[in-house]
Amino acid sequence: MRSRRHSRERRSDVARRAAAPPRAPAARPQINPLRAGLRLEKVPEPACVVVFGATGDLTHRKILPALYNLRRVGLLPAETTILGFARRPLTDEQFRADLKEAVARFSRVPLQDALWADFAAGIFYQQGEFHDPDAYRRLSQRLDELSVARGTRDNRLFYLATPPSLGPTIIDQLGRASLDVEGRGHGWARIVIEKPFGQDLESARQLNRDVQRVFRESQVYRIDHYLGKETVRNLLVFRFGNGIFEPIWNRRYVDHVQITVAESLGVEGRGAFYEEAGATRDILQNHMLQLLSLVAMEPPIAFAADDLRNEKLRVLRAIDCDWTAERLARDVVRGQYGPGWVGGKPVPGYREEPEVAPDSTTETFVALKVEINNWRWADVPFYLRTGKRLAKTATEISVQFKQPPLALFRGLQAEPEPNLLALRIQPDEGILLRFVAKVPGLGLDVRSVNMDFTYGSSFVSDAPEAYETLLLDVLLGDASLFTRADEVEAAWAVVTPINEVWEAWDRGAHRPEFPNYAAGTWGPEEADHLIERDGRRWRRL
Amino acid sequence: MRAARGPDEGPTGDATSPAQPPIRPAIPGTRQHWDARATSVPEIEAALAKLWGLAAREAELAGTAPAPPSGTFADPRVAARLDQGGEVRIRARTSVVTLVVVATRPETLERALDAVGELAARHPSRAIILAPGDPDGPARLDARISLECSVRPLSLSETCAERILVQAGGETAQHLAAIATPLLIHDLPVVLWWADDPPLGSRQLRELTEACDELLIDSGAFRDDGRERLAALAVLVAGGALAVRDIGWMRLTLWRELLGGLFDHPLLTPELASLRSVRLDVLRPGTTIRLSKAACFAGWLAAALHFDVAQPLGPKRSSESLVGTWTDGRREVRVEFRPVPAPADAGALAVGSLQRVELELGRGRRLIRARVTRQADHLLATADWDGAEVARRAGRLEPFDEAPYVAEALERFGHDRIFEESVAQAARLVAG
Repeated sequence: MRSRRHSRERRSDVARRAAAPPRAPAARPQINPLRAGLRLEKVPEPACVVVFGATGDLTHRKILPALYNLRRVGLLPAETTILGFARRPLTDEQFRADLKEAVARFSRVPLQDALWADFAAGIFYQQGEFHDPDAYRRLSQRLDELSVARGTRDNRLFYLATPPSLGPTIIDQLGRASLDVEGRGHGWARIVIEKPFGQDLESARQLNRDVQRVFRESQVYRIDHYLGKETVRNLLVFRFGNGIFEPIWNRRYVDHVQITVAESLGVEGRGAFYEEAGATRDILQNHMLQLLSLVAMEPPIAFAADDLRNEKLRVLRAIDCDWTAERLARDVVRGQYGPGWVGGKPVPGYREEPEVAPDSTTETFVALKVEINNWRWADVPFYLRTGKRLAKTATEISVQFKQPPLALFRGLQAEPEPNLLALRIQPDEGILLRFVAKVPGLGLDVRSVNMDFTYGSSFVSDAPEAYETLLLDVLLGDASLFTRADEVEAAWAVVTPINEVWEAWDRGAHRPEFPNYAAGTWGPEEADHLIERDGRRWRRL
Repeated sequence: MRAARGPDEGPTGDATSPAQPPIRPAIPGTRQHWDARATSVPEIEAALAKLWGLAAREAELAGTAPAPPSGTFADPRVAARLDQGGEVRIRARTSVVTLVVVATRPETLERALDAVGELAARHPSRAIILAPGDPDGPARLDARISLECSVRPLSLSETCAERILVQAGGETAQHLAAIATPLLIHDLPVVLWWADDPPLGSRQLRELTEACDELLIDSGAFRDDGRERLAALAVLVAGGALAVRDIGWMRLTLWRELLGGLFDHPLLTPELASLRSVRLDVLRPGTTIRLSKAACFAGWLAAALHFDVAQPLGPKRSSESLVGTWTDGRREVRVEFRPVPAPADAGALAVGSLQRVELELGRGRRLIRARVTRQADHLLATADWDGAEVARRAGRLEPFDEAPYVAEALERFGHDRIFEESVAQAARLVAG
């Protein structure tokens, strides 16, 4: 499987010729005792970050601002080097000027000229075609030179900021140029892959095979920026850092769980992409199922990458994926927005968006009821909904608890509502607990009150961008917040059967009557019926 | 007692006949404040209750107003903050800490008020600023109470901060703990910031710390050469009951990060075991050399590298330097504090500031030098191996203000084990 792995002695000749002082020993690194108690007790080793698609939007908007901010706060070593790789002919200087403009525009803090000058000294550019083996030989040579000149110790991070279709080509070429090789005089080699990780279960499996033909799984970091968000990470702290919630986090006390990822935005010029993806592939398969697995997982035995991912995987595998046509018709609702009003402004329907077919059946909304067949969650429905052009942008997980066993306070003016715990991901990140209290007075009226904790009112310090968190983790070699190959496949195993049934319906007589909701509303009425049929209702956000 | 309310940009009124507060939603960037004065602790408590009542009433009126359509606001998140369905909007008190500040001199009071003002936006807290005046004058207490709520521009979260400035004189000024203790918020951590040279071991300080969880001091403000205060600090820290944070120590963080960062290099890490000597250049513009900062830095090195003091610092013949030795039981390391005059661009540098730290390491004829040197606005760290540079890094010096350090003390609560070990070693090194 990895026939090219051990054929790479020539690469480091240049590095080996590094003059005095002697090269660092290749043995296990010793612990630096002077690090204890500092901001980062473990700091990333110097590395060269090779960005494929260096002239693209993702590099400009996210990757470079994140690296700059990490450097700004002293979390990256000064030797850190960035090597952009793309087709356009640019000089190092032109590339630096291009990135300076991007960082000034997209960084969450203003650009400091002196710091930029220092940072930019480590930025380089390599022109090349993604399918051209010569380009990778030149890349390899450049990396050797930079390793010596910049002291990056031959550590390489390859970041695929390219369209997904180019991924397999680049990975194959990296393997052919032996750029994946680690150890034996070389530093480490890691690769970051952006979602989507395939279009369905089979293409995801094929992509995993392509990746694993060259890289070991421990070298691969599949990035879902949602997992880098501060509040998503806090989900784990909330669940497993507090003793009072875990005992009631199960079918005995929880009535149902709702997860909403709502966007007021439309497709924002990405019509062609969205036509292929739809809400199911764009949001449900990754962000929503990741949130679901974090909410439903068992406590991991340690806060370590594979322990966490093992538990998430077990949840995904416990989801009932037997989507018969009958069950699909009952438990899954798809929708597509028509024209409407959002934020006080008229907006066009999905079919009127650029690059969208006028008779498109792509779903911009999906709501479904999911069952997790394990001891903790059997018979506890998880209701998920996501959509574009909804009434507002909001991401929230709400856990609704069962009513008390004996209704002592029924028959009063207002029926007490069951307890609810809401974890708000965005906006107004925080945690809300709803409980019942007596209304002051002589009578015995009760009403629901909210105990509302907002992060912004208690921790006012700026949270890092998700990409900053995740890039630092990659450089540190911590894969906790990255999706493993088997997780990706397990998530596709949930979603692919749904898409397959829909596609069959679209080809036959069951074409959906789209659009079926107006922009600026909370989705099609059928989504309300889906949950109301069970005697429940969507939480008002 | 009188109280007043009003937004920054608007008029103030009197709490006894408050003007009808306007109905308005949470607008990013807006700031509202309410003020009152009092002359006793019960009056302060009553004033606080009244100010919160005014703030809550205004919030309630804003929340029960008919919700405008979301399109009214350019930012949909603003609209999203408005409660729907007529639910009462609550102005929550979100304090995370009570900060007690003691400022014994007018200039430190001014600095402390500036720092507390800056912190209000970042750390929702109650700040009690105690300014003791003439202990021989008539007993008096004059308190200014203010409540300020602001909406942050991006997150649109509202934070509220309370500030109580108590100016006390005579007998009252000698019992600061009796003033502060009733005003502490229940069940929240309490940080005491002594903004001048802290009278470590005094009754006044001891009484106050009994009600506190953490003491914040600045070893850079220790009087004379700092030896006496360092010794007292070591005793306090060794007691273990109180967490102590030191602004002087926090100012050394960049020095520590840069020097420590040099030894991240795999070539240099093992060489720490071959340390031969340490030299610290300490700023001395006048005649007194203040040792506390340099001693803490040296104490950190000693603790991290498992050395103990063999010979405390003493004068070196034919120079103004102080020289001592460490030992790990097998070998000795020379430690030298060298006073240096203030450079032309010293600016606001305090007496006792570090100018340069240099370590010599290596076995046999091999010589490795690692040094951190203060430049105009940054620190430069370099390491060379028999003259060839192997590592270099730089770090920008932070502004001299105290507020960021006070903020750090509020954020990183609890014992700092590294600091405590460093202080113990520092006190042993300067014990004269």
